[in-house]
Amino acid sequence: MADILDILDIEHPGAGEISRDSIIHGDKIKKKYITAKSVKRPEGMHREVFALLYNDSNKDLPPLLPTDSGKAYKQTKAKLGMRKARKWTWAPFNNPARKDNAVFHHWKRASDEAKEYPFAQFNKQVSIPSYTESEYNQYLKSEDWSQAETDHLMDMCQRFDLRFIVIHDRWDRAAFRDRSIEDLKERYYGICATLSKVKTNPWSNTVTTVNGEKRIYHYDAEHEKKRKEQLKRLFDRTQDQIDEEQMLLTELKKIEARKRERERKTQDLQKLISRADSGNMPVTNTVPNNTEATHTPSNVSTNNIVRRHDRKLHKKKLSTQQRPVRTMETVTVEWSGIKFPEARSTGVWLRSQRMKLPPGVGQRKTKAIEQELRLMNIDIAPTPTEAICKHFNELRSDLALALDLKNALAACEFDLQALRHQYEALNPGKTLPIPASLCNTTDGETKPMGEIIDVVGSPSALNSTI
Amino acid sequence: MSGPNGMLYGGDEIGALVFDPGHHSLRVGYAQEDTPKADIPAVVGVGPATHIPDAEEKVPDGNITQSGTKAGNELRHYIDVTELHVPRPGMEVQTYMKDGQVDNWDLFEKMLDYCYAKVIRSPSEHHPALFTEAVWTTRPAREKLAELLFEKYQAPAFFLVKNAVLAAFANGKSTALVVDAGASQTSAVPVIDGYALVSAAVRSPVGGDHLAAQAKTMLTNMHIQMLPIYSIQSKEVIRERERARYTLKTLPAGLTHSWQQYMLKRQYEDFCHCVAQVSESAYDERTAVLVPGVHYEFPGGYHQDFGPERFKLTECLFEQTLGAPHLVTSAVSACDADARVALWGSIVMCGGVAGASGWAERVGRELANRAPSSHRLKTHAPPAPLERRFAAWIGGSILASIGSFQQMWISSQEYDEGGKGQLERKCP
Ligand SMILES: Nc1ncnc2c1ncn2[C@@H]1O[C@H](COP(=O)(O)OP(=O)(O)OP(=O)(O)O)[C@@H](O)[C@H]1O
Ligand SMILES: [Mg+2]
Repeated sequence: MADILDILDIEHPGAGEISRDSIIHGDKIKKKYITAKSVKRPEGMHREVFALLYNDSNKDLPPLLPTDSGKAYKQTKAKLGMRKARKWTWAPFNNPARKDNAVFHHWKRASDEAKEYPFAQFNKQVSIPSYTESEYNQYLKSEDWSQAETDHLMDMCQRFDLRFIVIHDRWDRAAFRDRSIEDLKERYYGICATLSKVKTNPWSNTVTTVNGEKRIYHYDAEHEKKRKEQLKRLFDRTQDQIDEEQMLLTELKKIEARKRERERKTQDLQKLISRADSGNMPVTNTVPNNTEATHTPSNVSTNNIVRRHDRKLHKKKLSTQQRPVRTMETVTVEWSGIKFPEARSTGVWLRSQRMKLPPGVGQRKTKAIEQELRLMNIDIAPTPTEAICKHFNELRSDLALALDLKNALAACEFDLQALRHQYEALNPGKTLPIPASLCNTTDGETKPMGEIIDVVGSPSALNSTI
Repeated sequence: MSGPNGMLYGGDEIGALVFDPGHHSLRVGYAQEDTPKADIPAVVGVGPATHIPDAEEKVPDGNITQSGTKAGNELRHYIDVTELHVPRPGMEVQTYMKDGQVDNWDLFEKMLDYCYAKVIRSPSEHHPALFTEAVWTTRPAREKLAELLFEKYQAPAFFLVKNAVLAAFANGKSTALVVDAGASQTSAVPVIDGYALVSAAVRSPVGGDHLAAQAKTMLTNMHIQMLPIYSIQSKEVIRERERARYTLKTLPAGLTHSWQQYMLKRQYEDFCHCVAQVSESAYDERTAVLVPGVHYEFPGGYHQDFGPERFKLTECLFEQTLGAPHLVTSAVSACDADARVALWGSIVMCGGVAGASGWAERVGRELANRAPSSHRLKTHAPPAPLERRFAAWIGGSILASIGSFQQMWISSQEYDEGGKGQLERKCP
């Protein structure tokens, strides 16, 4: 409210009251209103006209004279440059990079002493081999190249700093026959090589000394031509060809992904089989399951290659399916506990690093191993001497294997019991005699179901460890 | 150039001038500046000196150069818009350019006289002069120019650079494929390490002039009359598409055909600049209709919205074998395979027509379809249309003020010793 009154220049009623403002600026406010009041718009004068004479309030009028009487600004004078402005002169200069001593002018500080033109240092030239007439006749004669043409080439190389693309572009086709870039390069580098053999060379770009032995750059024109040809073919592919290649690449990726997937599954199968071999697990139950999973038809591709690939995989699978029959006699445990990574060859490392379980070992298994170790009264993190490391790792690996086998065995037991119950339920009154050879429990007696489950956990947990 | 702490900066100004002659205009100014001082139409009005208003006779300056001393048949040369665009009986408009290079040297001399006297306002013997040239400039034309500068203008130094190279420099590239869509032609020139590949360069006669001619045909077919602006005394405000109401000026008799045509061409060009738009892909009536039209008022007062016509008009710039995209592809494929990756990777677009709205985008799009997919395609065009038109000049301005370039000039001493034959060697 007070603001509006201020704007309208109406003295607000609260002016006389004591407020924080009136205490601090009290006298000023009063003064302002007095002056503001003193100039009143004469009767009949248009407001706009009056506004030209008097501003709404006097404080808006720009001062006619500088009224800054305080010392604030004067004390610290703004000094932008500490030194006096220095003079520049339009001075002549000589450029040592020029051979003609031409004099140009540029701006330079009058105080700067004349020194060599700084940009002359950028004047760099490649060194091109040179030869005399007799040298040419002795060493450089060629069936294909006349001396005039060779001279022209060397001149161009100098002028265009060995940019052979440009040299080829500016090649004097009126005087000499058209040559390919490879021809030009071959001739040039050939000359360089020949000359650096017969005389000490002031040009260094084609000869390098490695262990005091001269190595001369050899330009292989044939190879270059072939390379360019291939490059051109690569560039000139049509969109169709590119699309086809892209398609094939994605197909290949798909195939490889599938292959990896299958390999993984075969490996799982393998593990299972080897475990089953040792634990006499009924293989036939699980294998068909797995094949079904891998058998998902290659729905996307109609490509021959994929089909062929599939067939191959089928064969592989068949062989793995036949496996249990073979391994029944010779029990070979292919899966062997934990594979500890090989010691890294580079860098310094702690030996305790070697005792770290590889990341592939799951949390559950780690816990189980530690539990076993504790039961055996073995420190979980023993002092890693060479021997301890080795034995400790072996022990844990064996433990892991033992655990896995135990799990598998328990699972088999479970299945066996389940089957027995099933059998008994279907044929009431009969009992299924289980041969002792199948009852592989350590103490020979069949444990009640609940106990087995206790040891193993649930069958789903077993699946997850596989 | 060298800073207080011994640092060496790239520039060193030696008061050089940069001239960029084109079919449409001559750009001239000081090196190291960012725009030319003057952009002068590349034509000269030649007429009898009889009909000159008094006011101009009092100030005989470089604008009107006199040749011949006999009062009866003396000829005057009228240069730049303020002189040229005035109706004068008997004044013929002539161009000194032909096929991308200077052809009429007498007229060009008049133009240079004007530049030194009215634009530079400083004696020619104080300023090294850098000229741009088209890639196809013939040897005689180059040598003639050097001769003119050294012998008539006493230039302390002279240099010639291909405009494609300079346009690449203006875009910060030393290797680029430069597409220049100028007035008389469109060209594509590969530039490798600052050297234009002459034998790989291609051009087509489609450019701003062709576009203006197309605009003329289009307007004639639409029965819209383009009255010369100088002939209108006054016009009334009318509603859109209404018949124009205007009064004509009484013009001096004996206006030449060439001058009238020249003035009309400027108007058609103006129409193009205001109305023409390049569509994103090949002209399609249905999409073109959707874009809001542009309003244009003709000198007689007639005005209307131009919708799809704007897009149709510019299609002439993209004809199969004449358009910029085709030129680029053929220029690149004429280059060595090793250079192609770099060229596709920096395509520089310049020239007046490249400033037409949508032009650069359209070219970029069509190139994306044509470029081999194994290459990274990148196009460069300065954002401002004027910078595209002045690209060659700006590149010259940059080059002539680089410290390490100062050794490249052909100095007058060198010219005196070696003659003009060294031009081929010194300015490749
Ligand atoms: N915005 C625009 N839209 C369409 N065309 C334009 C535009 N601006 C300029 N032009 C055209 O560009 C042409 C001028 O371009 P530029 O100055 O590059 O030509 P030039 O260099 O003088 O000629 P040349 O290169 O053929 O010798 C003129 O024809 C002009 O009409
Ligand atoms: Mg041009």
